[in-house]
Amino acid sequence: MMKDSGRREFLATAAVGTTVGVAGCTDALTPDDNGADSGAADFPSDDIEIICPFDEGGGTDLTARQLSEQLEEQLDTSSFVTNSTGGSGSVGFSEIASASADGYTLGILTVEICTVSHLDIGDVTNEDMTPILQYNFDPAALTVHEDAPYDTLEEFIEYAEENPGEISVSNSGTGAIWHLAAAEFEQAADIELDHIGYEGAAPATEAVLGGEVEATTSSAAEVSSQVQDGELEMLAFFGDERHPAFDDVPTLSEEGYDVTVGAWRGIGGPEGMDEEIVETLEDAFDDIYDSEEFEEFMENNNFQLEHRDAEEFGQFMDEEYDRFGELIDELGIEGE
Amino acid sequence: MLAGLLEGLSLVFQPLALALIVFGVVVGIVMGSIPGMTATMTVAVLVSFTFGMNPTEGMMLLLGIYGGALYAGSIPAILIRTPGTPSAAATIFDGFPLSEQGQAGKAIGIATIASFVGGAVSVVLVTLLSPQIANVALNIGSPEYFAIAFFGLTIIASISGDSITKGMLSGLLGMLIATVGLDPTLGQPRFTFGFPELSAGIEFIAVMIGLFGLAEGLNRYREGIGSIDIQQDLSGITPSLADLKNIRNVTIGSSVVGSIVGSIPGAGGDIASFVTYNEAKRWAKNATPEFGNGNIKGVAAAESGNNSSTAGALVPTLTLGIPGDSVTAILIGALLVHGIQPGPGLFDNEPGLVFSIFIGFFLVYVVILVLGLLGAHVWVRVINFPAKYLWPSIFVLCVVGAFALRGNLLDMWVMVAAGVLGFILRMDGYPLAPIVLGMILGPIAEENLRRSLEISNGSWDIIYTSPIAMVILLLAVVSLVAPIALQYRENN
Repeated sequence: MMKDSGRREFLATAAVGTTVGVAGCTDALTPDDNGADSGAADFPSDDIEIICPFDEGGGTDLTARQLSEQLEEQLDTSSFVTNSTGGSGSVGFSEIASASADGYTLGILTVEICTVSHLDIGDVTNEDMTPILQYNFDPAALTVHEDAPYDTLEEFIEYAEENPGEISVSNSGTGAIWHLAAAEFEQAADIELDHIGYEGAAPATEAVLGGEVEATTSSAAEVSSQVQDGELEMLAFFGDERHPAFDDVPTLSEEGYDVTVGAWRGIGGPEGMDEEIVETLEDAFDDIYDSEEFEEFMENNNFQLEHRDAEEFGQFMDEEYDRFGELIDELGIEGE
Repeated sequence: MLAGLLEGLSLVFQPLALALIVFGVVVGIVMGSIPGMTATMTVAVLVSFTFGMNPTEGMMLLLGIYGGALYAGSIPAILIRTPGTPSAAATIFDGFPLSEQGQAGKAIGIATIASFVGGAVSVVLVTLLSPQIANVALNIGSPEYFAIAFFGLTIIASISGDSITKGMLSGLLGMLIATVGLDPTLGQPRFTFGFPELSAGIEFIAVMIGLFGLAEGLNRYREGIGSIDIQQDLSGITPSLADLKNIRNVTIGSSVVGSIVGSIPGAGGDIASFVTYNEAKRWAKNATPEFGNGNIKGVAAAESGNNSSTAGALVPTLTLGIPGDSVTAILIGALLVHGIQPGPGLFDNEPGLVFSIFIGFFLVYVVILVLGLLGAHVWVRVINFPAKYLWPSIFVLCVVGAFALRGNLLDMWVMVAAGVLGFILRMDGYPLAPIVLGMILGPIAEENLRRSLEISNGSWDIIYTSPIAMVILLLAVVSLVAPIALQYRENN
């Protein structure tokens, strides 16, 4: 009944009751008995489920639904998104990891796959996954209030050196990626900052606007409207290259600090997937990545594009895993 | 402003935009009246439909769902003592007793009128005063937010029923349940016993469904009334003039308070309705029937409070680009897709769109008024359904609703556990509402107090030196001490 397009599926499921429909049909649509016809040659011969470890309506969910919709055209099959959330993504990640590795259950892998085990929130890591493709990287940005006594990164660091621990920096939650980004910058610049955690990036931004903290380190997208309006000022961008919309803001590496850090998203499946199937999927997602439709979608939603193929993505996750492990150790925020 | 208003009118009064408002409200009412289906979820799933529409049309659909779902949460709260959305928890206090007296129709009628007035008043306020309200909201930092949550916790005293001690124990239990999950300051898991599912905390809505829906059903069977039908009076759905006069002041006052609470990022309809219910109860001296026994003023206060918070939530969303709640966060995303950046520049760059949002939201509430009064007849018939079929169906609905929240089996067990707990507590005369209040406000108080102290490096000055926080804390003390002092004087 739901093998039509994604939109029709939405309508149908919305009519019978949003997520009940989606969740309830999940099992029905991914029969476990596809062993016989699940060979690599005729892949895909069934519906493809994409598990999104974060809530409906959030950034990760938006990209998952876009990918799912385009995957349907690309592979001429039907694809749907299920949200399995909680534990900073670890609940969804665990679900991806424990699915059968036949290519019919995929999931969105985010930077949290490389942090949750260090933070003791979950025990799933990138080792439990088969990487397929990375499609996004949103670097952090150091943003301050326009009235702040510093207008450049240099002045900011000077001020921090003179007043150690005086500057408080808001983030979207202790141990979350924007906290780690601030901590990494703090180490590289050899300064002392006061990290203040909020429930999400929006209140963290508001705290800078309201003057409760001096700076924030969420992604450029989170602060772009306030920066464009002039109430906030972006001092540095934590990416490899300058942000296209804020090309007058220097990157940290330009200023002599070798730090590139931010949130990223990619697609993967459980460990041990058939190589041919991975290749089929990689090609499909490659074509989606290169499509005008996807590019436009990413731009409209303020997501930055970044491409890594299956192999590069795997290596990248290994590096990120080690790097955040060390950082979290030093910060002392992991559980006992 | 006038030019923007006219442009907004011309954008909204298009056949498609108007049809989308009606469609959105209908979808919202259906979803909102199912426990476990929240406005956020419905908006999130339907948001991709709006990408192909123009921004105004998209907003009309989403706002329709938003308003419709928030309103409809009151329907199951009144009929089966299970709030459809967290915001409707306070509607139970007087809504359900009315239903037990065969006055469910009247309760829904009052809830509909109050929702309409709440929504309409707050839209008008927000249209006229958005920038000013946004400035006030920006001054609410962590110390002030702590004070608000602390003040909110004093409400426990007034929703405890017969025993304040038992009420406080319930409240503490709620706060305890809410400590499960990641520590807000240290990021370390607390009381998760190694289950990653628990690190996101105990799902609040699952607890609410269990505590009210399941526990109520169990209680009916214990009392042997699980199969006794209450005959509902279908004649009194459109409220009488006397009733309207009775709720006039309460509704308007609650609408203003609800708009302000809604405009604080992070505080939504759930907090707003508890605050307005409590204020209404405090102001009404010698109310007959008493609050909690089916006073229509209680229903009116809660419903105008939570619906007015919706337009309030639009204030930080449109003026600061910071979402006022989870639904408005999705609205921002929907606007971004059209290349429109909500934020300080929006009023200058897109005055037509801003006014079309305000006008559209006003119309949403007009549609709710009409559909609500018409639909009440249908909904009331639902509980005229023979009780021996009704309650088992509600049990099923509770299980499905809890699972549907996040597609997580754990939430279902949490719901069942909360249901059994609620059943036992009720037998021993412990009120359940303070548990909900503790779960909502406990974490807000904790997080903001700890964050304040972190910012001030451990100095309590950050609270003393905030005039707003001190005033609110003083109010909290007065509201705690005054009833005791009065009673003492009466006794002597």
